Amino acid sequence: MKKYFYPAIAALILAGSAFTFAATNWQIADGYSIGFSSNDAGGVFKTFKGAIVFDEQNPAASKFDVTIDAASINTGNGLQNKHAKSDEWFDVAKYPQIRYTSSKIVKAGSGYQVTGDLEIHGVKKPVTIPFTFQKTAKGATFTGSFTVNRSDFHVGKPGGDVAEQIKIDVSVPVTKQ
Amino acid sequence: MFKKALILGIVSGLLAGIAGLIYAHLYYSINAADFSKVASSIRIIASSLAGGVLAAIGFTILNKWLKSNGEIVFNLLFSIISFASLLMPIAYKLPTSLETPELFPGMVIPMHFFPALAWFTLKPLFIRHQPVA
Repeated sequence: MKKYFYPAIAALILAGSAFTFAATNWQIADGYSIGFSSNDAGGVFKTFKGAIVFDEQNPAASKFDVTIDAASINTGNGLQNKHAKSDEWFDVAKYPQIRYTSSKIVKAGSGYQVTGDLEIHGVKKPVTIPFTFQKTAKGATFTGSFTVNRSDFHVGKPGGDVAEQIKIDVSVPVTKQ
Repeated sequence: MFKKALILGIVSGLLAGIAGLIYAHLYYSINAADFSKVASSIRIIASSLAGGVLAAIGFTILNKWLKSNGEIVFNLLFSIISFASLLMPIAYKLPTSLETPELFPGMVIPMHFFPALAWFTLKPLFIRHQPVA
């Protein structure tokens, strides 16, 4: 019996310490902003949810799995909204969600960099997003900007009035779960 | 002539503004959509007044320029301009913080006809038709 005592203690300590290194779960708070802009079109997505696990000391153990409700697009113009939801653009009836699932998060300069799969309009592509993580009184805020080529995801017809490159600006306040 | 037209323009503009405010209030309560951040009461009154005053200027110029045909051309132009101005609310981009932008044209489009409607209704009270001898 004695011979199992110390290994059991060691296993307990190791298991306990593993919890201390586990990344923090963050809950998406109100006031987030998922904006997009180009030369012609611009707007926001109103509905955003998902699971965010992030530890600034241990980004490798972190994970993002977030979705945007494609039908929540708001360009500020009713006709443009209808057009954006149609099968020519986001086809929200067939592809109701835009999804981003991270595969790797690393420290990059003063911020971080997340690599993962972005799925828009049923097309999945690897996308790397640089972001910052700023602690606030209520929790923290993730902020990032990146560019996607809409034609890569078969969103809209190639060419036309709307630029191929669409800038995405993300600001997500979070609170500890 | 211009004095009478200007008074008509101001009165019809004010009436159109009041009609616009009543309509906006009804629209907000029926559709549970509030666009008062974009189309505030002051803006509705001011744009209706501007429409009335511009109509007065146009009416005077056309009557001086085209004499007896001035009013015919003015009425036609006022209707066409009111109709063409519908493109503005249809193409207008609201702040993205406002929900249901698709309801915005439905609120503003009728207001674009109110100045013309008020002008045509009140015109006989201010500028009487001179019968041709």
